Formats: sequence, structure tokens, C-alpha cells
Amino acid sequence: MKECKKYQKNLVAFLYGELQGDEKKRLESHLDTCSLCRSELDRLKEVKNGADSLNPEIENVMASIDWEALQEKISEAVFEEGTSMIRQSWLRSFLQSIFQPKLRPVYAGLFLGILIGAAVFFMIFRTPHLQVVKNGEIIVPQSFLEWAELEMARRNTIDYLERSQYLLLDFVQSSPEKSAGFWQSDYASQKARDLLSKKKYINQQLDKFHMAKAKAICDQIELLFFELTQISEQISMAELKRIQDLIVERQILLKIRIVKKELEKSEV
Amino acid sequence: MELKRVVKNENIYTLVEKIKEGDREAFMTVTRLYQKKVFLLAFSYFRNKEDALDIVQETFLRFYQKADMFHKGRNFQSWLLQIARNICIDYYRKNYSRESTFNREKNIDEMNLPATDSNESHCSLDLKEPFSSCLERLSERQRMIFVMKHYNQLKYREIAQILNIALGTVKSLHFKAVQNLRALMSPYLGRQT
Repeated sequence: MKECKKYQKNLVAFLYGELQGDEKKRLESHLDTCSLCRSELDRLKEVKNGADSLNPEIENVMASIDWEALQEKISEAVFEEGTSMIRQSWLRSFLQSIFQPKLRPVYAGLFLGILIGAAVFFMIFRTPHLQVVKNGEIIVPQSFLEWAELEMARRNTIDYLERSQYLLLDFVQSSPEKSAGFWQSDYASQKARDLLSKKKYINQQLDKFHMAKAKAICDQIELLFFELTQISEQISMAELKRIQDLIVERQILLKIRIVKKELEKSEV
Repeated sequence: MELKRVVKNENIYTLVEKIKEGDREAFMTVTRLYQKKVFLLAFSYFRNKEDALDIVQETFLRFYQKADMFHKGRNFQSWLLQIARNICIDYYRKNYSRESTFNREKNIDEMNLPATDSNESHCSLDLKEPFSSCLERLSERQRMIFVMKHYNQLKYREIAQILNIALGTVKSLHFKAVQNLRALMSPYLGRQT
């Protein structure tokens, strides 16, 4: 009985001609002696006969078809669309070959790489930075140098304006009698000379970064200091008073304060 | 019923190469050689002439589109029937899945066809409709394997290639298909399993 079960598993394959060699011979000799398995085979043959019962219908349907016409119809359907179909086929094959499932991990890795690369570039170029390399050498990008230079120009100008403001304030507030001696004192003359030399230094920076408004007021201050330090000995008290009035009239101190504030807010 | 394998592999490779270059004659030759095999598979599966003809047309259209993907060394018939099989499954899911097989409308002419056949045996008349409905009750894979084996007379090896499954699985599914058919047909065969 157990042996029959083993053979019965092969009965369908045997019935459909898929059993060969020794396996087939063993089953055939078993069927010769086993009525149970023969009966099982007969039942399976009934299924096969049932399936064969559709054959006449299939044959009739197939006989009713005009195969030549079908062949023409298919061919026309394919070649009528001609070029577009070939192109579509080429495009589809190309896309399929590019986006085939086994390449998905590669594309995922590539995408991740691009994402990380973009993030790194963003971090690097977001703000100017210093890159320290071995032996204590520092490599500085050009953008950082420009940024540093602008910052220095801004700070130098603010410093110049602040110091000029205090000095001019002292001058404006001093009485006409004292003002002549004011510019001959070591304190004022030294400061004015310092400011004149500083002005020469910041001139380049003001030109380079097109700080026009700051440059205009700085030029006016420079001219004032130049006159006051060089010719104060020869000019009269009335002339000094006129210069004091001019400073007040032209609101030079106010202008200095405004430009300074603008520079402090980096608005120049 | 068995269709002879007219074309040797070497010839079919040459024909497919020509088709890739847009050769209409080569395409028509391949269509002529294989259209009946595709129809047989589709008709055995659907038992509807119009549906089977649609499947044949769609199969060759898709074959033309995918010709570049066929490479030397592959069995052309298996490859083509694989396309046909996929189209059959899609077509079935799209058009039949929500429809009771018993309520499906059939072409009147087709229904009359067997009755007009004078050569048809009494036994065939008795078993044809029951068998047909039993076949439709099999699972998708079992039905496809049974059809391929019985009507297309393909070898297990070829079915395995078409369905992309192991040879043993084909053998086992075919065995189950026949067993299930026998169980389903037992009331019509007048005996119990």
C-alpha cells in the first residue's frame, strides 16, 4: 500500500508521457501486478478524456479562423504605427535597462552620495572659513580674504570717524580765543596728524569697497584737519570762528554720527 | 492537434534579428509559425474565441516591442508563450475576475459550434461543459499548467521555463491539477473519489 502511494504520485506524469527510463519501467511492471493502481490510472484517464472532450470545439474554432487574415491584421497593427512603435520599443528597452530592479541599490547609493555631497558643500560654502592644514599652514579661500578686508575697512573707518568726531567736538566747543592755541597744543596736533595719516591708509579701502558716503565725509574731515594743523598759526581768530560755524552749519558732526551708525550696521 | 515545430532555433534567431531591424516579412513569418500555438493557449484558458484572438494580437504586438530583449540561447517558443501567458493573466484579472464564470456571456455562434459537429462523440457532449466549468474552478497556476500540458502539449521543462518555476513544482502542480479535476468531475463521472 505504501509502495502504491509512491507509484501513484507518478501516475499523472506517466499518463502525460513525462516518465522515462527506469522510473517508467518500474511503474509499468507495478501496474501489471497492482489492480489498485491500474484502477487509479483509469480514473485519471477519465480526466484526460474529459479534457479531450474540448478538443472538437477547439479544432472547430481554429478551423473557423482565417489565419492568413489574422497574420496580416497583426502585421498591419504593428507596422502601421511604424517608427513611433520602434522608437517606443527602443525607449522602453533603454529605460528598462537603466531602471532594472537589480540596479536599484546602486541608484539608492548614488542618490545618498549626492545628498551627502550637497550637504558637505553647503556646510563648506555657507560661510567663509579657515582650513588648517599640516605644519601649521592655513589655506584661506579668496572669499574669506575679501570678507576680512571689508570688515577691516569698516572697522577702521568707524574708528577714524569716532576719533575725528571727538576731536572736532572739542574744537567746536572751545572758545574762539582758545581755539587758536587748541591746534597748536601737542594733544590736538598729534591726534590730527595721526588721523591724517590714518586717512591715507583707509583711502584705499574706501575706494576698493566703494564706500562712497563714508569716503565723502572722511574727505571733508581730512580737509578740515589739514587746514587746521597746517595753517592754524597764520589764520585769525575770526577765521577760526568761521570754521567752527561751518562745522556746525554743515552739520558735519551729525553726518559723522549717522555714517558711523550706518557702518556699525554694515549698511555702507 | 499537435503543432509541429517547424522552425529550428537557428532559423528563429535569424528571423528575430531581422525583426529587430524592422523586417516585416520576418515578422509575418514568425506570426504565421506561432499564432496557432498562442491561440491554442489563450482559447484553452478562456474558451472564448474573441478573447483568444485579442490575446494573440496583443502577444505579437508585445513581442515586436520586446524583440530587443530576446537573446540567442533562449527558447523562443517558451519566451513567446511566457509573453502570452502574462497577457492571459492580465486579461483575466481585468475582464473576468469580478464576473462569475457561469454568468459570462458567450458568443452564440461559439456555443452552437460543438452541436453542429457531426463527428463529436456522445461522451464528449456529456463531459464537455462539466469539464469546462471544472477547469475554470482550478487555481490560476494549476489551470495554466494543465492547459499548457494538455492542449499545448508542452514538456514539463518548457512549462517550467515559461512560468519561471522549478521542474518539480510544475510536476507537483500538474499532479494537483489533475487530482482536483478528478474530484470536481466525480459527480459527472458517476463515481466518488
